[in-house]
Amino acid sequence: MPTFKDFKLPDLGEGLTEGEILKWLVQPGDDVKLNQPIVEVETAKAAVEIPSPYAGTVTTLHHAEGDTVDVGSPIITFDVDPGGTAADDGVAAPAQTPVAAQADMVPQLSASQVPHEPGMIGSPAPKAGTEEKIEVLVGTGPKSGKLTRRPRKAPTPAVSPPADRTPPRPPARVSAAAVGAHAAELAAAGGAAEVRVLAKPPVRKLARDLGVDLRQISGTGPGGTITRGDVEGAVGDEVGTQPTESAPSRDREFDPATREQRIPIKGVRKMMAAAMVDSAFTAPHVTIFTTVDVTPAMELVERWKTAREFAEVRVTPLLLVAKALMVAVKRNPLINSTWDEAAQEIVVKDYVNLGIAAATPRGLIVPNIKAADKLTLPELAAELQQLVATARDGKTPPADMQGGTITITNVGVFGVDNGTPILNPGESAILCFGAVRDMPWVHEGEIAIRKVTQLSLSFDHRIVDGQLGSQFIADVAALLAEPTLFVAWG
Amino acid sequence: MATLTLGKALNEGLRKSMETDSKVLIMGEDVGRLGGVFRVTDGLQKDFGEDRVIDTPLAESGIIGTAVGLAIRGFRPVCEIQFDGFVFPAFDQIVSQVAKMHYRSAGHVKLPITIRIPFGGGIGAVEHHSESPESYFCHTPGLKVVSCSNPVDAYWMIQQAVASDDPIVFFEPKRRYWDKADVDTAGAAPLSLWDANVAREGSQATVITYGPSVKTCLEAAAAAQQEGQDLEVIDLRSLSPIDWEAVFTSVRKTGHAIVVAEAPVYASLSAEVAARVTERCFYELEAPVLRVTGFSTPYPTSRIEEDYLPDLDRILDAVDRSLAF
Amino acid sequence: MAVQSVQPSEGPELVQLLTPEGERVEHPDYSLDLTFGEYRDLYRDLVMVRRIDTEATALQRQGELGLWASLLGQEAAQVGAGRALLSQDFAFPTYREHGVAYCKGVDPVTLLGLFRGVNQGGWNPYDKGFQLYTIVIGSQTLHATGYAMGLQRDGSDGAVMAFFGDGASSQGDVNEAFVWSSVFQAPVVFFCQNNQWAISEPLERQSRIPLYQRALGFGFPGVRVDGNDVLAVLAVARDALARAREGSGPTLIEAFTYRMGPHTTSDDPTRYRLAAELETWKLKDPIERMKAYLSRNGMADGDFFAQVDAEADALAAHIRAGCLSLPDPDPLTLFDHVYAGGSSLLEEEREQVAAYLASFEEAVH
Repeated sequence: MPTFKDFKLPDLGEGLTEGEILKWLVQPGDDVKLNQPIVEVETAKAAVEIPSPYAGTVTTLHHAEGDTVDVGSPIITFDVDPGGTAADDGVAAPAQTPVAAQADMVPQLSASQVPHEPGMIGSPAPKAGTEEKIEVLVGTGPKSGKLTRRPRKAPTPAVSPPADRTPPRPPARVSAAAVGAHAAELAAAGGAAEVRVLAKPPVRKLARDLGVDLRQISGTGPGGTITRGDVEGAVGDEVGTQPTESAPSRDREFDPATREQRIPIKGVRKMMAAAMVDSAFTAPHVTIFTTVDVTPAMELVERWKTAREFAEVRVTPLLLVAKALMVAVKRNPLINSTWDEAAQEIVVKDYVNLGIAAATPRGLIVPNIKAADKLTLPELAAELQQLVATARDGKTPPADMQGGTITITNVGVFGVDNGTPILNPGESAILCFGAVRDMPWVHEGEIAIRKVTQLSLSFDHRIVDGQLGSQFIADVAALLAEPTLFVAWG
Repeated sequence: MATLTLGKALNEGLRKSMETDSKVLIMGEDVGRLGGVFRVTDGLQKDFGEDRVIDTPLAESGIIGTAVGLAIRGFRPVCEIQFDGFVFPAFDQIVSQVAKMHYRSAGHVKLPITIRIPFGGGIGAVEHHSESPESYFCHTPGLKVVSCSNPVDAYWMIQQAVASDDPIVFFEPKRRYWDKADVDTAGAAPLSLWDANVAREGSQATVITYGPSVKTCLEAAAAAQQEGQDLEVIDLRSLSPIDWEAVFTSVRKTGHAIVVAEAPVYASLSAEVAARVTERCFYELEAPVLRVTGFSTPYPTSRIEEDYLPDLDRILDAVDRSLAF
Repeated sequence: MAVQSVQPSEGPELVQLLTPEGERVEHPDYSLDLTFGEYRDLYRDLVMVRRIDTEATALQRQGELGLWASLLGQEAAQVGAGRALLSQDFAFPTYREHGVAYCKGVDPVTLLGLFRGVNQGGWNPYDKGFQLYTIVIGSQTLHATGYAMGLQRDGSDGAVMAFFGDGASSQGDVNEAFVWSSVFQAPVVFFCQNNQWAISEPLERQSRIPLYQRALGFGFPGVRVDGNDVLAVLAVARDALARAREGSGPTLIEAFTYRMGPHTTSDDPTRYRLAAELETWKLKDPIERMKAYLSRNGMADGDFFAQVDAEADALAAHIRAGCLSLPDPDPLTLFDHVYAGGSSLLEEEREQVAAYLASFEEAVH
């Protein structure tokens, strides 16, 4: 049973990519012995005799003398078991041979890809019309590079940088303070100097530019690293109450030469400034004022302070003003809207996300209570209390500072009567609530000492005209002057 | 306990090695009768004989090449290259033979050779006597490279290097040969040969160094303490392989890394430290890794070598720059 | 060429005991007294060694070896030296001493891994006293000298033979080995196979004087022997090894021979030497002269020669089968044996590469 084996032209150790068949030393039908010379192949102007890798009968010569053959392509086929009793079925297709397999690993560079190295041992003088060949003295010559990627398995979860940080072998003779080494663990030791944050350089730079103290942020990135988003969201969250602020103290002293102090514009201040500018120079602001005798409202507030419903919460005049505002909004819905320039629409909202302007040492922020109009008074009181406390702690989450629909600013706490507040961007009205003073007032036809306060309302005159604005502030005032109106208008 | 100079500590360590293992040989130019140009092998030929302490012909390649043959025969040669700048004739034997023999022989042939090389500058010498060629050898797989910085380490590390079955290039800071310290020769080695040492603990920045620069860095750290800066100094001790865990632990604590070494900065061992620290401590770094090194010039003439060598001011300047990032 | 070199000649200084025609001759300083069996054994060795070489060359031409450094024409030099070595003697070869390896009892298949590219040598030199091949020219002569110095310290009666070529004699390391071995009187024999060519550079480019005379400059004896005469080489090598063993120090043996093949299978000698030169040396073939000597003196007959040929065929088949079955190494083995004591860095790298390789759907190897 014939067994066919191909012999492919090998790389003859010279970085050969092709060879020319010079002379066949055998013919089809010849019996050849192992290592018997079968062909002369041209390399470098010298003929190389190739000895037969098989004993057997020559079946086919695949190329004629004079042909140029690529390394790795078959040049001759043998029947290594002519008329024999081989066990395999007489599949005429020539089997793969180990030699052929070896030759398969030989690079199949096209001649134009082969670099020419003049002067190497054995380099041929270029023949007219042929490509240059490379011959090297040692080794099998350069292999061609890959041109496509090998397919990978399904991706493994990305190795987060701290993930490969298994607790390291403690180095010998290093004190306990240095051993351990994970930032989170060290943070437990306390002391700002020992807390190490995990953040890559661009994030650190962003934090520095925005005046954010990385030590106060918990990171949401892999392994607890602080991301860009974490920094951006933390703007305005600084504790700030400690005298040490993020920047070193060098920019907090007056320069004796110029007697000037230079404070970098960054952080909350920067954001607040941008918002102010945006608002002030987009919406035409008009502010109207009213003075109100709020004695009944204050009496109500006093009573609530000891009421069971408000036992858990702080009750302040602001609570009542907030409630009054929301009732007034219900009566004057257009005041609770936004000017959508892009869509050329005014968006009127049926919900009140009530913003409360809060002063923190870092600057002004305006967190809002979502759907404040749906809250009961005790709930509202609780929310207000929480809002103020959170703001003071510098922990207001970014979401709380977005989506507000109308705002109250309380300048009364500073002893100020009124103001011309600037709208929170995206809103159409802002109510300014001044100090409550004991003032002489005409009450039931007589001069009396009454609790009097001033309300100011700034509004976006694109949406709100004088009548609407006046109506709105008058409603707020009326509720504070006569709280029983809450029942009538609720 | 004995107060020893670094050179004497090496001498005592070598003596101990020779006593412990009769296969240990010392070979090099002038190591026998003269006791070495720095007296590191002083007295050893008298006590151990010319067969074990060999004054060789003047050819560095020959010293290392014959050491290879002796090691194949089962000896433990400790070769001395007289000065750093003269190691290069032996470079081929070191990188082509010493480094590769174990690999080439699939582990059948071990070459427990120690190659001692005094290195570094600051001694007012002429050309080729102040080099820092350690990077070439760190760059050669198959070799291990260490450097002592003080007498205690010198005493123990030389013995450990001689006892190692791997070839070790042992760099000795020649400007520190006369530094003294108390060495407990009766005790046990305080560290393994491959451990880095926290030479000084600190919290604000990590100074990573080795060899002659360790003392300079400690002096710089002491000066910095006066100004309220708290620096940690890591003595690498082993240059290949480096005790990376010790380095990373420190850098993760301080967030600042400064590498100090005499060798020219370009393509140096310092560059490897910087690259690997950056790769592995990326999230904890508050500043890029800075390097305080020799410049990209041949070692200068002695009158201006102090401007070339990393000194206290340059080190602290780098620390300042790192902390200011 | 401005420089006129002394032309090598086959004058009285070339030790010879068997002429190219197969005639036995006497030499005043060297003699050999062998039995018929021993002569036959030497013949067999020569034929085996040549067959190793031709089979390996064929395997290279068939793509099974990336490279082969042929010793064709140098069989007598290597068999003569190899058979002079005792089992306690250590040989430090270059990369062409397949004949010496054979004589030391190294299986020829052992040598193939390096040329096939499946290892860097990888054999245990202590097994047969045959060091791994050294590819950097001349380095091994220093290793041999150091080993010999070790023998001195051990009080051993072994000796060392360092092999190198005419080209290597220019290398600094070889000259340093001459310095060391002479001043320390080390028991090492320097066996230089002067095969006339260092790739394409002729002997005249390496020396103005006959190579064996170099030794005098270093203070030890040198002798030039007909490298194609296995009997002379054996006699001279035995004598030099005896000198070394008794503590008389080194000897330089210049085996004057010819590299009939190329430097390696990647070399093309037709570019730098004349075919006529080859023809001259064919007349000095080492095997032909032994065959003639054995036949003419009734030491061997046709049956013997046929039997030796059959043994050579069997050896060739063994080499072929062994070569084809040499396993390709697993890629991760490239991290093995870098250090005797391991390295934390390498362990980490190895793990990373292992993970990377495992991330592919199909392994390449």
